Amino acid sequence: MASSRLIGLLLVAPALLAVGALFVYPLGFSVATAFTTKEGILTLGNFYRAFELYSVDIGFTLVIVGASTLLCGLLAIAIGGYLTLGENPRAVAILKWLYRWPLFIPFVVAAQCMRTFIAKNGLMNNSLVSLGILEPIQTTSLLDWRGIVITFVWKQTPFVALLVAGAMASLDRSTIEAARNLGAGRLRILIEIVTPQVLPTLVVALILSFVTMMSVLSVPIMISGESPTMMTVDMAFRINAYGDYGTANALGVLSYLMTGAVAWIYLRRGIRQGGKP
Amino acid sequence: MKPILKLATAAALALALAPAGANAQRVTLNVITAGDQNMVDYVKDYLGPIFQKSNPNVTISSVGTGPGDAGSQKIAEKIIAQKDRASWDVDVAVIHQKMAGDLVQAGLLAPYTKDIASGKMVTSDNSKMALGAKVEGYVIPMFNSQTAIAYNPALVKNPPKTYADIEAWSKANPKQFGYNGIKGGMSGVSFVVGWVYANAKDANKLANGPYDANEKASWDPALAKLKEFNKTATITPGNAGTLDMLNRGEIAMGPVWVDMFYTWMADGKLPPTMKLSLVGPGMPGQPMYYVIPAKAANMEAAKKFIEIATSPAVQADGIVRKFNWYPGIDAQHVKSQLDDATWNKLFVDVTPQELASKGKSFPIKQYFDDILEAYEKKVVN
Repeated sequence: MASSRLIGLLLVAPALLAVGALFVYPLGFSVATAFTTKEGILTLGNFYRAFELYSVDIGFTLVIVGASTLLCGLLAIAIGGYLTLGENPRAVAILKWLYRWPLFIPFVVAAQCMRTFIAKNGLMNNSLVSLGILEPIQTTSLLDWRGIVITFVWKQTPFVALLVAGAMASLDRSTIEAARNLGAGRLRILIEIVTPQVLPTLVVALILSFVTMMSVLSVPIMISGESPTMMTVDMAFRINAYGDYGTANALGVLSYLMTGAVAWIYLRRGIRQGGKP
Repeated sequence: MKPILKLATAAALALALAPAGANAQRVTLNVITAGDQNMVDYVKDYLGPIFQKSNPNVTISSVGTGPGDAGSQKIAEKIIAQKDRASWDVDVAVIHQKMAGDLVQAGLLAPYTKDIASGKMVTSDNSKMALGAKVEGYVIPMFNSQTAIAYNPALVKNPPKTYADIEAWSKANPKQFGYNGIKGGMSGVSFVVGWVYANAKDANKLANGPYDANEKASWDPALAKLKEFNKTATITPGNAGTLDMLNRGEIAMGPVWVDMFYTWMADGKLPPTMKLSLVGPGMPGQPMYYVIPAKAANMEAAKKFIEIATSPAVQADGIVRKFNWYPGIDAQHVKSQLDDATWNKLFVDVTPQELASKGKSFPIKQYFDDILEAYEKKVVN
């Protein structure tokens, strides 16, 4: 008995050590740095500076990531819905093949492409102008916070759609058929029958996307330099320009709190379902 | 340094160098450069082969740490992290001014310039002082670089000569002036510093010290003006972002690095009609420095490497002809190596006289940090 327990401990030890060394220690260290001065004295000065200089960016981070998460959810439902309820097999096949592509493209590459795509005289506007849809004078650059949202949504929607479409495909089709027999349109079936049943999966996918987007530096730094921008850019700037880890970590703690809040929803849901992830 | 440490260092150095001398084994020289990709390319594709011709047993390993002060910060962190080790795995580093001062003061660099021939060919001010910190003996500039205002002559009939001109022009042509703020690269930082210089009581004090913490309050009117100016300007994504937008015709004017401007033009990424104007009272430029960490594992090879890299021939052909930088060592040693046409190409839009009178250095470190933070506080917040 005792030896099997020892073996059990030994088996779990590498994983525990890895989590401890690579996650718990750095997390603790960064939280501690956020509350201390360079000389090691306890302080709230870092948070004061973070709010004084970056309150706009903190708010915008929430707006950008929140709006992106919402749009991802809507688009994913639309894509998943068409894959489940679509009646043209060819269109369904094409959509199924196409929608996953952005999954395999890193954020930094997506940002690089968007830089030239959504610029004032970029590919998108030039195409619209040559199609006669826009006049050259009407074009505007989307290389600001809107560009960040566009890139996030483009990159993250396939991930949410993948999970949502999978959940939709495994639904009991009889509920859909029953609604159809009673004369419900496809949109109504999607909104009233399908979506409520896949809601748990949707929420989990959106929470994971939220956390991912919170941590992205490449997209905001490449699409929009400032005015306003995301907290990750400010954190990088604090370290690179001033070597000021205190304020950077204070901003980090604030973003832990944001992701922590959504993680809490995720965990609560898991507990309610009896410990299922 | 404590005697025991000194002894340990000497022993470690002897150990580190012994195998290289004893059996002429292959040595890997680690060259780490801050800066854009062109810096890594320069070391790997240009300097490396030249150096290996005369040192066949040395392999160059070239690593880039990224643009701006961020790149230098990473190099400094790498050196500081192995401070207590006997020998360090960085042999030659190329860093910015801000970090050079810090590293010299922390005793982490080796004073090497007296040991190599090109050490005597550098007498410029920025080889002695870096943003107010004494670095003489520890650094040789790899090149000098300068920022200036690039403009499209088709859209800008009367190019601005001063910051006041830019302000007026941007008011009349909203969203046609673009710069990258201070978080996306040094060309934007340079524009902001130039703005403060133009409006400060005593720009010389900012560049040379002494530091006075109360000075920053006097910038408030200038920064308030800059906040207004930003409303008429376009904020671009990065140094390359400004050039991209100029190229696509989205902006008509913006601050750029002179070397990047010419390189992009040579690569066909900018129309050859674009022009530069170095506006008064002046815009900053900066060198990048070759340095050797105090406990570099391959000290001798490192010195040889820098000696070749800063020789007049390499400075002429590599720095000036191929990469459009201003030379790092004194110009008279380099000019004689080049034909007039190549040399003059550097000075088409910005004359040597303008460069001398309007090419400023960045402010000393404390003022520099103050300016950046004041910009964050008063302009973008």
